[in-house]
Amino acid sequence: MRAALAVLLAFALTALLIIAAGKNPLLAYAALVRGAIGSWDRVGVGLNKATPYILTGVGVALCFRAKVINIGGEGQIALGGLAATWMALTFPRIPPIVLPLLALAAGAVAGAGWAAVAAAVRLRRGVHEVLVTLLLNFVGVLIVSEALQGSLGEPGAGFPQSPLLPAATWLPHPLQGNDLHVGILAAVIAILAGHALLWRMPFGFRLRVMGASVPAAVYAGISPPRTFLGVMSLAGALAGLAGGIEVLGVHYRLIDGFSHGFGFNAVAIALLGALNPVAILPAGLFFGFLETGAQAMQRAVGVPTPLVSVIQGLTMVFILSAMGVSARRPRV
Amino acid sequence: MLRMQGISKSFGPVHANRSIDLEIPAGRIVGLLGENGSGKTTLMNVLFGMVAPDAGSIVFKGRPLTGHSPREAIAAGIGMIHQHFMLVPAMTVTENVMLGWEATGRWLRPAAVAARIRGASAAYGLGLEPDARVELLPLGAQQRVEIVKAILRGAELLVLDEPTSSLSPPEIASLLGVLRRLRDEGRSVIFISHKLGEVLEVCDEVIVLRDGQVAGRAEVAGIGRRELAHMMVGRDVGAPIDRVARAPGDERLVVADLAASDAAGVERLRGVSFSVRAGEVLAIVGVDGNGQAELAGTIAGVIAPSRGAVFVDGADVTAGGVAARRAVRLAHVPADRATTGLVAEMTVAENLALRAFDDPPFRRGPWLDADAMSALARERIAEFAIRASGPGTAASTLSGGNQQKIVLARELGGRPGVLVAEQPTRGLDPGATRFVIDQVLTLREAGGAVVYISTELEEALLVADRIGVMYGGRMVGLVRREDVDLSRLGLMMAGALQEHPDAAALYGVRAP
Amino acid sequence: MDSVAELLAASLRIATPLLFAALGGILSERAGVFAVGLEGMMLTGAFAGVIATHALGHAGLGLVASAVGGALLAAIVAIATVRFCADQMVTGLAVNILALGLTSFLLRGLFGRGEAPIIRVTPLAPLPIPALSDIPIVGPLLFRQPALTYVGLALIVAMFVLLHRTRAGLTLRAVGENPTAAFAGGADPLRVRAVAVVSGGALAGIGGAVLSLQQVGTFTDGMTNGRGYLALAAIIVGRWSPAGAFVGCLLFGATDALQLRIQGLRLPVSSYVIQMLPYVVSLAVLAGLGRGAKLPSAIGTPFVRR
Repeated sequence: MRAALAVLLAFALTALLIIAAGKNPLLAYAALVRGAIGSWDRVGVGLNKATPYILTGVGVALCFRAKVINIGGEGQIALGGLAATWMALTFPRIPPIVLPLLALAAGAVAGAGWAAVAAAVRLRRGVHEVLVTLLLNFVGVLIVSEALQGSLGEPGAGFPQSPLLPAATWLPHPLQGNDLHVGILAAVIAILAGHALLWRMPFGFRLRVMGASVPAAVYAGISPPRTFLGVMSLAGALAGLAGGIEVLGVHYRLIDGFSHGFGFNAVAIALLGALNPVAILPAGLFFGFLETGAQAMQRAVGVPTPLVSVIQGLTMVFILSAMGVSARRPRV
Repeated sequence: MLRMQGISKSFGPVHANRSIDLEIPAGRIVGLLGENGSGKTTLMNVLFGMVAPDAGSIVFKGRPLTGHSPREAIAAGIGMIHQHFMLVPAMTVTENVMLGWEATGRWLRPAAVAARIRGASAAYGLGLEPDARVELLPLGAQQRVEIVKAILRGAELLVLDEPTSSLSPPEIASLLGVLRRLRDEGRSVIFISHKLGEVLEVCDEVIVLRDGQVAGRAEVAGIGRRELAHMMVGRDVGAPIDRVARAPGDERLVVADLAASDAAGVERLRGVSFSVRAGEVLAIVGVDGNGQAELAGTIAGVIAPSRGAVFVDGADVTAGGVAARRAVRLAHVPADRATTGLVAEMTVAENLALRAFDDPPFRRGPWLDADAMSALARERIAEFAIRASGPGTAASTLSGGNQQKIVLARELGGRPGVLVAEQPTRGLDPGATRFVIDQVLTLREAGGAVVYISTELEEALLVADRIGVMYGGRMVGLVRREDVDLSRLGLMMAGALQEHPDAAALYGVRAP
Repeated sequence: MDSVAELLAASLRIATPLLFAALGGILSERAGVFAVGLEGMMLTGAFAGVIATHALGHAGLGLVASAVGGALLAAIVAIATVRFCADQMVTGLAVNILALGLTSFLLRGLFGRGEAPIIRVTPLAPLPIPALSDIPIVGPLLFRQPALTYVGLALIVAMFVLLHRTRAGLTLRAVGENPTAAFAGGADPLRVRAVAVVSGGALAGIGGAVLSLQQVGTFTDGMTNGRGYLALAAIIVGRWSPAGAFVGCLLFGATDALQLRIQGLRLPVSSYVIQMLPYVVSLAVLAGLGRGAKLPSAIGTPFVRR
């Protein structure tokens, strides 16, 4: 409920901004909604957009539960997409269904590896994971750019991108005439699995104890470093998978900068979903539809798309403040 | 000098102060006596402006004091020495004294302040060195920094909250001397404590708080310990606890040359050796901070020792961490029940399974068995009379005593062979304290071995078969209960006497 | 030798925006509030600086506007974290997102009629100090810098004096180490933290203006591109002291300057790898130094008055 209020407040404040820019907020928001869910086509696009958010958001939420702040989503997604592309281009002779699955798996492994690097720096050298994951984001994205200049690049293209991937690797569209790809299934599975993991499995128990206090975790026989590494790797795998899905399902090639902004959005979604995997579904959908609607809003009414970041940022600030206030409740 | 009327303050469901009236004349040392939870600290925090009261008024030196913060209290002439010192460890004595003191001006003049510190230190016998870093000073000296702060700001009323809890007997004596000197100058002192002996020794007058209300007041000259204790507790103190004399059995816990450092790398435990037999309680006393936490941590597997070994029923568990301890049924009640022993956000059932969640019966294949957890929880709730609505309630809603019961139920419910209990009765009311002691003695009767770490000497004497004294990371004394001489114990606690030899050689065990 | 001196001079110039932001971040962190929002405050300052200079015609007014812009964003952080006890790190991230969107939106919405305009401002020229700049080697390095670089260097000293020689600085440091002790001593930790965060934001905003007004001459979307996080790394590397942070900023400035020059040299190293240099170097330095024990003890912990 708190999340809904925060969103409403953010929209209200942003309306003022729209007015300051000389546009009508009601018209703008109407175009936003139409662009988001105005037709089945739009819904399909929105679901596609929401998929990587949901996947990454579940991972980040699990990290937050253990009080681990992982904002490396952008780098992990980028490298996940890179690995998937590499797999798809390097082994074109692997049979159709197996190849995309292998490519996605490669993406997950790459993402997990990148997250594990951050975790190792944190564990071995004591550098806070916020800083490490942030800096590694930049490095990861640059690695992708570098790869696109070299072996994976498409020569003669005006823009750094890979060649079109073989059709055998493209994620199938279950609905005729609709852009929706099967990646949404992965998102739903991630949500259910995340929920089960957190509440019904020993690993989730470990996360929750560690998030409460590290001394309690040690006392309970939990190894904080191992749990830290585990949850970071898991989150990285989910992000890497999201990257692979973006490449195989939406772009059908690796495009420079495709991962831009995903990491931060995942943090926002995790917060919106109150760190509960199930609630991340509506939160991720909200963000996905917000972005698809924003482009329509710009075309129809002329309100620039960066407005979406304003809404996201404001929403986060409000939710964080509300969480801070409720954490202050006196304990007996 | 001070009049407080009708002070009331509640924290949620807890009524810390219920309409308290208090009057302090000038030039007196007034003791504020009461058990844990009687409301003494809250009342003084209200006086000092750190906590805002729900109702009531304060008049100090003829002027009212309302809605104020410590800044106004200090300006009016009230100085407070808190139980947990309000000092910045990384800064020097001079910097701490200058902190928040407007008289020092916009630009710091440390030399001038240092001179004043030296002056006051000489006048009152405080022995302070202005350029020393506070974190390197012993606790007694840190307390004197607090005192000099109050004196330099012209405090006419000093409030000391449990000032002797971290001091050794010689330091206590010197503190009381300083207080008498302040009183003779015409200042007043409020001396908050739960220790009868000290209150009777230094105070002119004593006010007793119980359950948030004033239970009585008297001139110290005209009252005795039993009456005071009666006022504090509301009933005749302590029916003696029945203890069955037991011939101890085999050695269950053997600790050999155990040493460990704290998080900063400072060696806090310097080689301790002892053994505890079946049916025996070894109480370990000493002022907090002399290595007890590290001793408990290494025995319980929460801290890795830098050298030494721990054996339980013959098995070497030194390197095995918590898992090895659980395998040999060693239970551990940690000192910090609120954040280490319990996870407040989790349910009672989850807390009761906190250490065993990864094993059957709580774990079935890849899943946690919630039904098994609930079933066990119901058993324990009944067995230990825990006041909770059910296994699914959050632990944070329970009272302190019931939270401690959860910890005990978890640790004792599995019928452990060895128990390590750290300050198990800290912050508990007498009824809950009695419950804890009963449980410990029951375990003793069943043949368990108990290491009972406590700062309360009287409590230790109640449960122990033998008493060990920790000072400076070493065991400086180990005596049977029948042979206890309180004054010698006091000296040992202050580090003035060492009679326990290094027994590591006796066990012939040394870690590589 | 000449090119080394030239490289150093360039490093100092490039490090200046980082320096302002780092000094601002020190104020915030030593008072106990993580300064993750520096990136957004710099960006806001960069934007406000360019817009104000363009609209009002005077770079000095632009600087003032940049300080105000950074301070306003910092005020959001202050209210959320100090008053409402929101998580400091994530709030910093949130305002960075907010600043990104807000500046890009306002750029288009207020000036470009929906598109991204290009606003050109004459970059501030270097200000050679007459006699001193002729000293061989040291002269061009130190004394032919733009005006704001001199201000930045002076600010290092000023910050040191503030923190260690004034009562306000003592109070600020105490609030960052043990706010309850500061409170018991008569200070108001909430007010101290809020003031520290907002003034830090103003400084970071000026740092952004140094970037947009002094170095580039225009505002582009997200132009700070991670400099705020580099400033944060510099603070940690410099152990939360002004002089130390300066060394960190200089280091990052040097890698950036190096990167620009290597690209011109056509070495067989890809330009992307070179662009990675600042980030990799900061990671290496941070990892090499580990987390020092001199982190302000109470950082990240909200102070609640009961």
